[in-house]
Amino acid sequence: MSLRRIGLVARREVRAERGQPDGLVSAVTFVAVLILVESLAVGPLAASRPAVAGALFWIAMAFAAILATSRSFERELEDDALDAVLALPGGRDAIYAGKALALTALIGLVAIVGGALSLLLLSLDVALPGHLVLVTIAGVLGLPPVIVLFVVLALRLRSRGALVPILALPVLVPQLVAATNGTAAAASGDAAGAIAWAGLLVAFALVYSVLGLTIVPAALE
Amino acid sequence: MISTTAKTTSALRARPFLGAASIVALFVALWMALVWSPPDAAMGNVVRILYVHVANAWLAYLAFVIVFLASVAYLWTKRPVFDAVAVASAEIGVLFTGLTLVLGSIWARPTWGVWWSWEPRVVTTAVMFAMYVGYLLLRNLSDDLERRATRAAILGIVLVVDVPIVHLSVTWMNALHQLPSVLRPDLQPTLDPSMLASLIAMTIAFTFLYAYLMTARVDIERRRQARVIEARA
Repeated sequence: MSLRRIGLVARREVRAERGQPDGLVSAVTFVAVLILVESLAVGPLAASRPAVAGALFWIAMAFAAILATSRSFERELEDDALDAVLALPGGRDAIYAGKALALTALIGLVAIVGGALSLLLLSLDVALPGHLVLVTIAGVLGLPPVIVLFVVLALRLRSRGALVPILALPVLVPQLVAATNGTAAAASGDAAGAIAWAGLLVAFALVYSVLGLTIVPAALE
Repeated sequence: MISTTAKTTSALRARPFLGAASIVALFVALWMALVWSPPDAAMGNVVRILYVHVANAWLAYLAFVIVFLASVAYLWTKRPVFDAVAVASAEIGVLFTGLTLVLGSIWARPTWGVWWSWEPRVVTTAVMFAMYVGYLLLRNLSDDLERRATRAAILGIVLVVDVPIVHLSVTWMNALHQLPSVLRPDLQPTLDPSMLASLIAMTIAFTFLYAYLMTARVDIERRRQARVIEARA
């Protein structure tokens, strides 16, 4: 697996998204609607508590990431482009890392919009903004390695739209708990807690990245 | 391409003996758990649920570790027998994880005062149950033998991460659930000897039952694989 090929796949993904940004648009719209609906359902007063606001944000982010990743692979299948990438020397190995890299950037953009919306709608006071950014970056890093893995496993299967969340969400539970607690810690001024949760999120991202790089090539047909 | 035939293996020949051993061991273990071992000083006779509950949980761990090992073996060798072992073990694991949750809930009502508690061991076990239901779902949505086996093997490897999380959750986090009494890091069980003996007897009986169910289910899966190959030929 070469870094050049990973970069090629990632750049190709970014170009495709720039040309036809339906993954980004649908993920941003989805995260905004979900944050709004969730906040209304639990009540704005309850939703503005740091732990609740964090949980609502990260649940919305997980679903938005699943949506964006699924859309990315659907586009490949619609264009019959996936087979061409797999046929390239090293393509099978590079596609997981390239996709995960590009989708991290895309989900990062979704997090900026969703985070700004949460802060605005719920009038959240954040005691440690720098730590909140750190936790958000770590949380965003933790999503694509898991979600790309499960989207690849469900590729070309019937009912894959339902299957991916069923498979991915239970595995994402530790990341969602860590991201929620880290967000709440940053919002309430617990610097050590925020750093510890961010570290845990980075560790999860590394573990699943290694796992994905090792076994995903076997799953791609 | 997968090529397979349903052969009479030594495992199949052992099935009647495993069935008989399961029945005998279950009777002995039930007698020890219900009659021979004393009631608990604090819980009274409610403690007897735990003999079956813990044996169920052990079987769930064992089944999912076997799924992992069979998945690694399948990816390594591409031999369909390992895929059959993986699906058999996953189905048995899901069944016994479900029973673990139900029995735990029955035990929790008189002990904790609630049917369900959001405490780490219970929640991580429920998550593990959901993960392996997803594993079976993935298998059922895929028609092609080789692709299904490969995808399921990858998932079987990924999901095993949850097994140590379930077991160690009570030591990592503040929990209502009691700490491990038998599989402890210091290898010093904290149970009364008669209770420990009853628990070990029940665990052995359930392990025989697992082996019996495995031989039966693997046989069914091997026959199914053979039928698919024949239909395709």
